[in-house]
Amino acid sequence: MPKKRLDLFPYVLIAPAVFAATLVVLIPILQTAGMSFMNYLIYKPKARSFIGLKNYITALADPVFWISIRHTVVWIAGVISLQLALGFGAALLLNRNFWWRGIARSLILIPWVTPSVITALMWRWMYDGNRGVINDLLVRFGFLRHYFPWLSNDKTALVSVMVALMWQGFPFFTIMIMAGLQSIPSSLYEAAMVDGAGAVTRFVKITVPLLIPILFTTILLRIIWVANSLDIIFVMTGGGPGYSTYTLPLYSYVKAYKALDFGYAATLALLLAALLAVVVAGYVAKVLSTEDSQ
Amino acid sequence: MKRILSVLCLLAMVLGTALAEGQGDEKSGAKPAAPQTVKFWYHFDNPETAINPLIAKFEMENPGIKIVAERVDWGSYYQKLVTAIAAGTPPDVSQVKLWWQPQLVEMDALEPLDPYLAKWAGKGDVFDNVWKLTKHSDGKQYYMPLQMVILYMYYRTDMFKELGLQPPKTRDEFLDVAKKLTRDLNKDGEPDVYGFGIRGAKGGHDWWGTFALSSGARFFDANGKSGLTTPKAIAANEWFIDLYRKHKVSPPTTPTDGFKEIIANMKSGKTAMTIHHIGSAKEMDDALGEKISACPVPVGTEGSWTSFGDEENAVFKASKVKDAAFKWVAFLATAENNAIWQKASGQVSINVSNGDKSDPKLARFMKATVDSMPFAGVLPAHQKIAEFVDAVWPTVTGQTLLGQITPEEMMRAFEKHFQN
Repeated sequence: MPKKRLDLFPYVLIAPAVFAATLVVLIPILQTAGMSFMNYLIYKPKARSFIGLKNYITALADPVFWISIRHTVVWIAGVISLQLALGFGAALLLNRNFWWRGIARSLILIPWVTPSVITALMWRWMYDGNRGVINDLLVRFGFLRHYFPWLSNDKTALVSVMVALMWQGFPFFTIMIMAGLQSIPSSLYEAAMVDGAGAVTRFVKITVPLLIPILFTTILLRIIWVANSLDIIFVMTGGGPGYSTYTLPLYSYVKAYKALDFGYAATLALLLAALLAVVVAGYVAKVLSTEDSQ
Repeated sequence: MKRILSVLCLLAMVLGTALAEGQGDEKSGAKPAAPQTVKFWYHFDNPETAINPLIAKFEMENPGIKIVAERVDWGSYYQKLVTAIAAGTPPDVSQVKLWWQPQLVEMDALEPLDPYLAKWAGKGDVFDNVWKLTKHSDGKQYYMPLQMVILYMYYRTDMFKELGLQPPKTRDEFLDVAKKLTRDLNKDGEPDVYGFGIRGAKGGHDWWGTFALSSGARFFDANGKSGLTTPKAIAANEWFIDLYRKHKVSPPTTPTDGFKEIIANMKSGKTAMTIHHIGSAKEMDDALGEKISACPVPVGTEGSWTSFGDEENAVFKASKVKDAAFKWVAFLATAENNAIWQKASGQVSINVSNGDKSDPKLARFMKATVDSMPFAGVLPAHQKIAEFVDAVWPTVTGQTLLGQITPEEMMRAFEKHFQN
């Protein structure tokens, strides 16, 4: 009999966590799924009805959905690569010995700890086509003849917002990579140097392979966060001009809170979740197979 | 066993306390003189200056009623309100806009005020036209007027004087003046001053309406059919878009210029004319003094149209303290209190008896407001007008200003929005 009590004990322990997760994750997901099969205009409570897959069919035929998907892909790929490059560079620099390293490590966290709305407003004014400091510097140093409307031009708006998010998110990469770098034993580098390996060889053969697990986790987390992020875009451009900076989360938000069409917004949110699940699963499978082959 | 006993003891204690509290509630609920609490949502740029003294005054005049005011961010005001209604937890009173009314009525969220208004002595002191404009299409009065503005045109008197120009009266004169005011002062090949600041981002439908709705475009004709894609309507829209695309009299940032940008551009001298209302007059006067003045918007090919900007208060059906809630909205619509409110909001009182109490320093802006009153209009009472203002107009206009779609396609997109 005492054996049975022991079997139940772990379940009792995780029960509160399972209960909380069900309450705040599972139930909302099921509700969202339910809404996506309904005509759910929040201002027409009497007209709510089950419409099957109609919202999904509408989405697939909706040009704005495809524009948003395209921008979401560019957004994720662009922001993550820029953040990775900058974060890696900063981590390598901060891993060196210099007297104000402690201060530099603290300062680099500023973008990460600044609230998104403040970051977005700050960048919006920096990009301003009439008074912005970016234009001022570019004109002063002769890179531009006239001020350029970065956020008002459909060719530059998305990239400009991506740069703002890159600035905000790169410290996360820096911190994670720095932690990884410090876990690499210095004896490996010393042995490689004895064997005559140069700086580049040491970087390619020792640093990068040993950082792969940490890079994998960091990139995975950032893909999910960046894909879902909409605060910076929302404050900087609101999706405009036109649909120039529409991404899928933003489109879903606009449909939910501007059109008050919760059914269609739920459909878009679920499609994003499904796409993200495919990307993440593919990425995990690819990394696992690479690790196996090593 | 010991552990079980101690858990049971703890449970008994918690339950005991909860039950005791419950009894206490019951007792206090039975008291007849319990104060009624009116939950009020509002938005105000500077809450400290107006709302607190008004609440104190109201609570003194109406013992037994307590106002709990919550300032809600304007950017997400409507979404917060609609979701609160859908969740069954709206405030008792909220500030509202006319273009929300069709959806709020559809949600059966508003309490008709007609029975209260029939007994309210202050009704006659609110402008007749305001009652007319705020009455819903079903004939009921759900909104209690609070404040109003009428859009007019700002112009830089110093620049007009320098070039020997007069404020334009017609749309042709306007274009001529806007072109002359667009100048490359430092001869670098790019204008430094633009004749007119168009608000291309959210809220810019008023700029569009000024030129499109005065020159043949109608949301709906007399038979309820779309009037947005008639040849006249399309030509009027093309004329508006050409201001930016062809004549380039508005800054290159136009597609994303919102309220802050158009005001900043006027103050810095980047633009020489724009459209707004008396709410920004003090700020303009503080920055530019006599260098800025205002006049009614130009007349189009078929008359004039300018936007009547409104704000009202509504009492919600779900409220359990409707009588107290009405007392509060009526209090705010009474001349003396409304004047206090307007002092902070910078807008125009809805009371006839407050007519001549405006700041003499801003008299020229008040004159432009009053001169514009005869042709001020509102957007149609349609359930999809809120989405049109918030999302469709800015996005579709942005596409047109960028040249991604034609002005005709823009009007067809608007028409499609209302037909779907």
